[in-house]
Amino acid sequence: MLPMLNDLLYRLRALFQRREMDAEVDEELRDHLERETEKYRRAGFSPNEAIRRANLVLGGSEQVKQQSRDSRGTKFVEDVLQDLRYAMRSFARTPALTALIVLSLAIGIGANTAIFSITSTLLLKPLPYPAPDRLAILWLRSPGIGIPQDWPSPGQYHDIVTQNHVFEDTALANGDNFTLTERTKAMKVDGIHATSNLLQMLGAKPMLGRIFLPEEDQPGKPQTVVLTYGFWQREFASDPNIVGRVITLDGTSHTVVGVLSPSFRLNHEVIPTIAGIDKPALFMPPVEEAKDPSNYGSENYNIVARLKPGVTMQQAQSDIDVIAARLRQEKHRDRSFTISVVPLIEQVVGDIRTAVLILFGAVALVLLIACTNVANLLLSRAAVRQREIAIRAALGAGRVRVVRQLLTESISLSLMGGVAGLAISALSIAVARKMHPGNIPRLEELGMDFRVFGFTLAISLFTGVVFGLAPALRASRVDLVANLKAGGKGSLSGGLSIRHDKVRGALVIAELAISLPLLVGAGLLVRSFMRLANVPPGFNPQHVVSMDVGAYGPKFKDPNTRVQFYQELAERVNHLPGVTATGAVSALPLTSAIGWGGMHIEGYVPPANEPELQVDVRASTPPYFSAMQIPLIRGRMFAATDTDKMPPVAIIDQKMADRFWPNGDAIGKRIRRSNDSPWTTIVGVVGVVKEYGLDTDTRMVVYYAHTQIRNGTMYFVARTTSDPAATTAAILRLVNAINPDVPVYDIATMEQRVQDSMARQRFAMTMLAGFAGFAMILAAIGIYGVMSFLVTQGTGDIAIRMALGARRASILALVFQQGMRLALLGIFVGLVGAVGLTRMMSSLLFGVKPTDPLTFFSVFALLLFVALAACLFPASRAMRIDPMVALRAE
Amino acid sequence: MTEKRLELPQGTLDLLILKALTLEPMHGWAISERLQQISCEALQVQQGSLYPALHRLERRGWIKVQWATSENNRRAKYYTLTPLGRKQLEVEITAWRKLTSAVDHVLDMA
Repeated sequence: MLPMLNDLLYRLRALFQRREMDAEVDEELRDHLERETEKYRRAGFSPNEAIRRANLVLGGSEQVKQQSRDSRGTKFVEDVLQDLRYAMRSFARTPALTALIVLSLAIGIGANTAIFSITSTLLLKPLPYPAPDRLAILWLRSPGIGIPQDWPSPGQYHDIVTQNHVFEDTALANGDNFTLTERTKAMKVDGIHATSNLLQMLGAKPMLGRIFLPEEDQPGKPQTVVLTYGFWQREFASDPNIVGRVITLDGTSHTVVGVLSPSFRLNHEVIPTIAGIDKPALFMPPVEEAKDPSNYGSENYNIVARLKPGVTMQQAQSDIDVIAARLRQEKHRDRSFTISVVPLIEQVVGDIRTAVLILFGAVALVLLIACTNVANLLLSRAAVRQREIAIRAALGAGRVRVVRQLLTESISLSLMGGVAGLAISALSIAVARKMHPGNIPRLEELGMDFRVFGFTLAISLFTGVVFGLAPALRASRVDLVANLKAGGKGSLSGGLSIRHDKVRGALVIAELAISLPLLVGAGLLVRSFMRLANVPPGFNPQHVVSMDVGAYGPKFKDPNTRVQFYQELAERVNHLPGVTATGAVSALPLTSAIGWGGMHIEGYVPPANEPELQVDVRASTPPYFSAMQIPLIRGRMFAATDTDKMPPVAIIDQKMADRFWPNGDAIGKRIRRSNDSPWTTIVGVVGVVKEYGLDTDTRMVVYYAHTQIRNGTMYFVARTTSDPAATTAAILRLVNAINPDVPVYDIATMEQRVQDSMARQRFAMTMLAGFAGFAMILAAIGIYGVMSFLVTQGTGDIAIRMALGARRASILALVFQQGMRLALLGIFVGLVGAVGLTRMMSSLLFGVKPTDPLTFFSVFALLLFVALAACLFPASRAMRIDPMVALRAE
Repeated sequence: MTEKRLELPQGTLDLLILKALTLEPMHGWAISERLQQISCEALQVQQGSLYPALHRLERRGWIKVQWATSENNRRAKYYTLTPLGRKQLEVEITAWRKLTSAVDHVLDMA
């Protein structure tokens, strides 16, 4: 141990006190020389002869010093340090080139790290539950009758629990909203009713108290509730004595038995409940109807299951297929009915996968371009330095030494790029989080992935080494005499022609060819987004505030009190300054609220194989259509006279009218919800409204008069000419004044809802546009780098042409011609590639073909312009060359 | 002075330096003089080998360095054998003896 330590200390001292040690050696050798001289003088030689002999015996003192230094064992480190110092000096001499290389690398590394981080968060990072790959969610599917996905019922849950052979555990859940009262202000809270095993299956741990006991989901147990950490912290001020407290939900008392730990996360992405709740605030045992194994009618539940160890998703699916087939038989389901087992991660990530994978591809292309650029710039760099290297070789630098010097330079460049890239990726991730496109799953888990950063850094280091090494090897083999004579220029390039420099030319072509599909892809997304933003939603979203107002609970048992409540609210809101119209509807467009049901049309018999007609069902107050400015096409709106004493009336949308009464004779026809409900007369036809998103086709919609349906959860809308925030606040005050137990929920302007519905598209567009922009910058750097290199190399050539009488304009044309030939070639290769590649993104496009000519032409023009601009600087530099100065310098 | 001097086999210089230092701490020039005298002028150590060797021995912890004032009032770098160096010397002497006797055996073979 000791000798090793001694060795290390010695080497460290040699490293950090190099000057002192050198001085010591000098002194020691001087001393030696003096003594030696002294010896010869004493032996009788004349002073001069003594010095001569001493020197002779000693040999070259410089060599001795060098050998002494070498024996200190720090030669390697000292060489590296020297190389680094030298590299820094050489960077400082060519700041522009250095900056371009570092920038290219930074963009490549930065963009990569950012996108890989996003991708891995979304797609690769396991869900925050124990053994998440064994978790699955179950859906009913009946594609044959237009139901791609539906919620299962307690009856089906019971069948699955008792008949399956693949699940270790199976849980039933459904979301609900509750009104929390007995506090200063009523509030609507989201919760999940679930069998006791759900929380356990998801690995939830209590921070206070306990989670549900296994028997707690059986009938006849007291009402208990488990709170999430956030809710407890927010609404109960982190009360440490919460366990055992009683809270009032929907007028009933519930005892708090526990608070979950802060790390537990569950939201709509993981379990999309039919109530559309985003994040549950609390958990409760299932409601009574959920415990009934014969309840097949209430298809409002989620089934979450944990597979037995070793069982694959396919095996689970085939086992459940058997149960589904039995249900199909016994319960007379349609022929396309299945129950599908969806891995939970797939449920969460869902349809974002395509977008993310395309971004992933985009980023790989950007990295490719960045590396190409670095390679290109390093090649230029090495070529310019041919002469310098020749001089060093002539002075005795060994080949290994020269190669090491060049390698040190390219590695330090890569590292500088890595540091800058770290900054860029941190920035991009911050932007992505800031954009927070509401419906992008798992974004709150997003953070920088340092494994990814390491990976990209390794790739760029590799690029640096390979492309630093290739020119280094070539350069170190230089023909000394030729290079020194030619001034390091003429021998390498054919003057001003790129044709003699195939590698560099090919790299530029490749860069343009790669960036073009990216730009086309981004262009297509931008055009899609514009198309989407221009889709008329079917109502006028401007200046409309909206909110979910819940008139339910014990005080609203009588349906008439609900009608009265909304009428009184409308009346008072109508008196607010700036409010021009108000209305209420049971399910507002572009919200998570839904409502649908069967429909029978008088005199219409569906074909034998077709199931019952399904339509979206809404209850609305008379002025809802005028408040939203949904156009009346035929007939009349609801009127104040359409009360529950009067014959029931309905308004249908244009879509339904077109399907069943294409001749415009829908008014007066009668429909009903089921065979035993009363006939309802159609009194009006209104325009089609985009209910689920601007890019989604709607289903047929039937509106019923709220006075005749009298339900207790309505979205209230108000059109206002004054500040939306002020109007909203005023409405909230009015609701609280009329009845403090009525919760208000999901507040937003209709314009916000329209914007939010496009969040996913906007996110994909912004990201891809960002990467395309990066790619374009890199390609521009590439062209600029190569053209300036050509001009530098061709200075002598240009000077001679000028001296022989070439006009400046023709020099300019010459440079442009060289650059644009490469650019055009690259652009055409890119166009061909783009036609093939954009086809893959057709699922992300809206109203635009993957081969949209306008996009292709715009990108073509843009790249041409960028290429011209990139040639401009080198060209104008070439034009300004003074032949006299240039030729003298040669 | 013109007579041919012996070339030192690889590695033996370390051994000789350590041996020379067993008597007293010495500076570089004195070491080379001492080796020359003891070997009856048969060995002459070039400073080109001497000083790198001294650095190497110091790095290994076999000798240590002190600056002191020499007999003629000049500052000189004195090398002292460390206990570790002493042990190493014994090891190397043993190894050398073994080597030379083995070589002798071979050479004495009639």
